[in-house]
Amino acid sequence: MDSPAQRLFEEDVQSVPFRSGVFKRLWGMDDPESLPVQPSWPIRAFWLSAAARPNCPTRFYLQLDLTGYRSAAPTGTFWDPATKAILELSKRPKGRPDSRVARVFRTDWNAGTAFYHPYDRVAATGHPDWLTQDPHRVWNSNLTIVDYLTEFHSLLNNGDYIGI
Amino acid sequence: MDAPEIDLFIHAYGANPRIVGAKPGEILRDVLIRIAVIDEGPSGALVFVGECEEALAEADGIENGADNHVPVDLALTIEVLELHRHRHVHIHRCRHVAVDVNFMGKTKHHRFSPATTVGTVAAWARKKFHLDSAAGADYVLQLCNSTDRPRPDNHLGELTSPEKCAVCFDLVKEVTPQG
Repeated sequence: MDSPAQRLFEEDVQSVPFRSGVFKRLWGMDDPESLPVQPSWPIRAFWLSAAARPNCPTRFYLQLDLTGYRSAAPTGTFWDPATKAILELSKRPKGRPDSRVARVFRTDWNAGTAFYHPYDRVAATGHPDWLTQDPHRVWNSNLTIVDYLTEFHSLLNNGDYIGI
Repeated sequence: MDAPEIDLFIHAYGANPRIVGAKPGEILRDVLIRIAVIDEGPSGALVFVGECEEALAEADGIENGADNHVPVDLALTIEVLELHRHRHVHIHRCRHVAVDVNFMGKTKHHRFSPATTVGTVAAWARKKFHLDSAAGADYVLQLCNSTDRPRPDNHLGELTSPEKCAVCFDLVKEVTPQG
């Protein structure tokens, strides 16, 4: 039987904001070639479209742990559907030095297993000072997977994203 | 064989957007009456289809511009209105939403279609304030006198009442995580 967290997540992926993002090809969970089957709950895989950069993919994959959704923030990072493992650091999206993109996608923290962002459960737990530094980006139960995907899609389409 | 239903994304002030299925041959008015977002009689509601991005093409020198996005004729069918392509249907009583965006002591004004997303307004504002694409991307819209930052997919019409038809934003910079 589905957990309340899973039911809430399934409702959110049927909402207009999520479906509208799929329709605009900003993100999705349905990719028969790369994501033929979704992992068991509470893990879910997504793709996000990225701005075109020379010799770089225009789609990145994420695998997120959604335990406690929405009360708890997601956590996770880039995923490689081909190897079924966390994406190699050399294939990760990079940002212009000292930019917000570079900071969030840094790989020299926590072995690159989570995003350096207040929306990430692991990062937020380790940085209680972010509650006051950036109160707008503190995860709360009114936020949904759409807020999460919107934020990371925005970073992958930011002018400071320079490729892999 | 019946044509398959198209999922429409219905937006209106004071309610979460919702998905409604409609046949290509259905009249838009009938669909909106069926889901009770308009009445059978004259309602004064204006209905826009699609998401308006006209402001992004506005010439730099224009101040106090306005979108031309025209409300649709409700007697037309889903197919004729090309809703398979547009998907979004926005119901509002405001013909335009008057938007002020404040940044560095200056204010820019534009009268947007209610079916304009906050993301489009942010892109318009960054252009108007001459923030280049790399540096400007970290600037987002925050409602004036609040700490609320509506998501880029929110429609302006979802943020303003039919009595007010106006929204005020500050253009603010995102914080880079430190520590």
